[in-house]
Amino acid sequence: MKSRSIWCCLMIIAALASLMVVGPAGAAEPIVIGVPTSLGFLEGKESHKVVQMAVSEINAKGGVTVGGQKRLLEVSSMDIRDAAPGVPVPEALLGIEKNILEKKPVGIVVGPFRSEALVAGMDLISKYKTPMIGTIAMTPASEAKVKEDPEKYKYVFRNCLNAVYLVKYLAGTMEAINKEFGFTKVYIMHQDVAWARATADGVKKSYFEKAGWEVLEQEAYPTGTSDFSSALMKARSKGAQVIMPIFDMPQSGILVKQWKSMGVPALMAGFISPLAGTDAWKSFDAKIGGAVNCVFEMGSAIASDKLPKSVEFYNKYKKIYGKELQAGHGPAPAYESVYILAEAIERAGSLDPDAVVAQIKKTDRTGIMGRIRFDEGNQVIYGFDPKETAVAAVFQWTDDGKRRIVFPESLADSKIQLPKGLKSAK
Amino acid sequence: MERRKERIDRGIKVRAGDVFALCSWREMLYLLAPRLIPVLGFLLLPLILDNYWQKVLLSVAAFALLAISWDILAQSGMISLGQALFFGLGAYCSGVLTHVFGWPPLLALPVAALLGGLLSTLCLLPVLRLRGVYFSMVTLIIPLMLVRVVEATKIFGGTEGLSGIAPLPSKWIELYLIVGALLAALFGFRRMLDSDYGLVLKAIKDNDRSVINAGINIYWFKAQALFIASSLAALTGAFMTHVYMFVGMPVFALDYSILPIAAAVVGGPGTLAGATVGAVILVPLSEVLRGIGGLRIVFYGLFLVVFIVALPEGIFHYIQRKYHQFERWVEVQ
Amino acid sequence: MFLGTIIYGLLNSAVLAVMAIGFNLTFGISGVANFAYGAMYIFSAYLSWTLFNLLELPYWLAVCASIPTTMALGALMYRFVLLRVRGQALSEVIATFGIGLAILELFNYLGFVGFEYTLPVLIDDSIMIGDTMVDWQRILVTGVAGLLVAGLWAFTHYTRMGLAFRGIAQDERTALTLGIESDRIAMLSVSLGCGLAALAATVIIPLGSISPSEGYEVLIKALAVCIIGGLGSTGGVIVASFLIGFAERFTDTYISSHWTMIVSLAAILLVLGFKPSGLFGRQKELEERI
Repeated sequence: MKSRSIWCCLMIIAALASLMVVGPAGAAEPIVIGVPTSLGFLEGKESHKVVQMAVSEINAKGGVTVGGQKRLLEVSSMDIRDAAPGVPVPEALLGIEKNILEKKPVGIVVGPFRSEALVAGMDLISKYKTPMIGTIAMTPASEAKVKEDPEKYKYVFRNCLNAVYLVKYLAGTMEAINKEFGFTKVYIMHQDVAWARATADGVKKSYFEKAGWEVLEQEAYPTGTSDFSSALMKARSKGAQVIMPIFDMPQSGILVKQWKSMGVPALMAGFISPLAGTDAWKSFDAKIGGAVNCVFEMGSAIASDKLPKSVEFYNKYKKIYGKELQAGHGPAPAYESVYILAEAIERAGSLDPDAVVAQIKKTDRTGIMGRIRFDEGNQVIYGFDPKETAVAAVFQWTDDGKRRIVFPESLADSKIQLPKGLKSAK
Repeated sequence: MERRKERIDRGIKVRAGDVFALCSWREMLYLLAPRLIPVLGFLLLPLILDNYWQKVLLSVAAFALLAISWDILAQSGMISLGQALFFGLGAYCSGVLTHVFGWPPLLALPVAALLGGLLSTLCLLPVLRLRGVYFSMVTLIIPLMLVRVVEATKIFGGTEGLSGIAPLPSKWIELYLIVGALLAALFGFRRMLDSDYGLVLKAIKDNDRSVINAGINIYWFKAQALFIASSLAALTGAFMTHVYMFVGMPVFALDYSILPIAAAVVGGPGTLAGATVGAVILVPLSEVLRGIGGLRIVFYGLFLVVFIVALPEGIFHYIQRKYHQFERWVEVQ
Repeated sequence: MFLGTIIYGLLNSAVLAVMAIGFNLTFGISGVANFAYGAMYIFSAYLSWTLFNLLELPYWLAVCASIPTTMALGALMYRFVLLRVRGQALSEVIATFGIGLAILELFNYLGFVGFEYTLPVLIDDSIMIGDTMVDWQRILVTGVAGLLVAGLWAFTHYTRMGLAFRGIAQDERTALTLGIESDRIAMLSVSLGCGLAALAATVIIPLGSISPSEGYEVLIKALAVCIIGGLGSTGGVIVASFLIGFAERFTDTYISSHWTMIVSLAAILLVLGFKPSGLFGRQKELEERI
């Protein structure tokens, strides 16, 4: 009896010990790239997949040359759950820390979901001197922090769209709507999280107020809200012509559904994460015709014939995973960031973080999102011309379930169409 | 031929129960070991562990404190499903005291503990007059709604919370403070619950009406127990605020409610030591299993069910029994 | 807009009543607070979704399969878990909470999050009432709420089993002496409560989408309604649903959507402060208050 229980204890300890000692050790050790993010969410899941895709592409060519030696890449992912409601930020950060300490990645890509986690995690990144190219969290606060103390935070990069550039895109779209149809009454609805609030305020200040629009109401919704009927009723009775939603939670799709079923005569133009991919047509029972939505980076869930690389990327993903990309935010820059990192390592000729960081900063690469260069806040510059900067896209769902890019003009397939029952104010 | 299992106290237990125990090293060790192991373990571990596992030890101690707080409530007949409420209130109190009023952390800690305890007690005072599941239901709801209050009113930093809160002076003070608090709470409250005062609390759980019959004001006692337990959890919250240098809506997260319950149930409710054992097992386990992400919470849920149904006494009682008694099969005549 | 708010307040109340009635029924009869209620709601929704989308069964069949399955799951939960800890409120709470947690977090882990997880609406149309557009699905929910209340009332007053339910609820020991098997009735009540959760999911989910966090939300809303109305009282559930339902819509329209949740919190604290057993918690007031 006694010996058996001791035996049991030993077995359990042995099992635990074997769990802790992971990771192969050997001569030609692969270079580890860490992917700590919220893998349970669409953006994180697909970003992780494209990172693996990029890594296997590089490995197929023999890997990365470091100091005359070819070394393979390896992906080490970690679900830090920071996007799930109810997960404390510190808990998410502990996940990143564990990933760094155990797998010793040369660089981290994708990174935290929530801006709150990114900002809080920057100290951690600089403490462990691990270069990170973030592709999901969007708050400009991180750039401000980098600019404030460039030496300390030089390890933190971001190559996805940030809230500032999103503001430019939305403002541009609104301008186009105004020019085309003469609309001037907007109802702003946004999620109550840092980046969405910043975006909504930004568009309001930088465009609506200057261009003489009337902002009927600006309403913030707690994450997880699933009933928008009151707001839509208000929008209807106040005579809104444009509804600008900014949401990245799955429940925000309900807004579109209710917008259709309540027959609110206003153009829906903004960002709603579930609307980005092709699956949306089926999930929403083909009832999203007319909605205008932003895709944060060219290549994520949409491709343009004018950028052949984006089409190539889009089709490749479809071929490998048998499904089209659905996340309008994350995959394209995540794919690019692997190449940015790999190229920086090759140029630096070593894995020393300071040398790699210096080389990442010098990146000038033309990829699926256009031309990628970092500014002094370590943020990739976005603009409206893929030859000069990286680009995002604004598209509209047509009534027969196609997506047409309507903005920026350099990439546009067609002009914005008004949904049935809505008349131009001109 | 039928057999039955017989449990008999070990000889050494019988001998050690006597004053002559002091004559033999073996018996003194037998008595001291269960007390020395946790004390020495918690005091020495910080010196041995590396940076990362020191952090884990910190969360072990924090969750053990939350579990002890849960256990004190449970022993007084109140099943809390919202330790996050106490934790969060303490965290916010300390955060605001240091961030807004500029108090030093070491002063803010005890004040936040008392203030947080007071606020939680006031919040739950109406429910104390009800027995049964009301307390559980209300404690489950309130923290989730307080999150909304913070979000809507945008007080104390709103959704972003307050960051850059003053940390404790050094890593060692941090570690030994929480470990010291844990040991003090463990042994102190164990003693309290064994005293007459503790007996009243336990009696309220077992049969509240007979306690009323004895002429004791049970609301007053329940309120006191609630205050003690919530202050303890608030202290943990306040402490973690300074460790993370951040306080925000996530302090009301469900994680802070679930893990302490799981720890107390797995370890064995009713002894406080069980709660500590539970935290010592579950927190490192969940660190090791971090790779599986959300599945850990599924396991906590299953642990709760399995232990409540199959081993309601918990691990600690089991170990205790093995320590004091031996078992053998005897034939039934 | 005022009229619109009233209409939507009414519809919202119906949604709340449908959400809460199952929880309330189980508690009223067997005294089991089923904290796995939200998980059952979500479980049946995902089951319907899987049957409908992956196995491509017709929708009605998927629903007809998922409601009984959820009921069976509830019965199993009673038989294998709750039965062993029956009567210990502490253990019942922890066990059901643990089960609910495990189910919801499992769905979370498996990645069942996203807008593609939703059920189709039964009648895909909307009508104008005054100048407010109302979709038929909401009207359907209101109808279901009415039918449920009427049906449950008839069931507990005119059928043998319903009378047995009430017997157990009123006095378990006396009911036992009359040959009513309390364990069987309690199992049925848990199972029926889960079935009602499944039914609620079938009619309410098409208005939104299925996600594990919705499970917690439903549990919290059901708890809020039951606490305010008084646990175990059907009349209380209806009145509390109207109270919260209208309060939520009006704050939503006239103050801000942020405050909706806070209104119910304030209502709970107020009611508990003045009338701890809830507005209609009269039946068992003596036992619950001490």
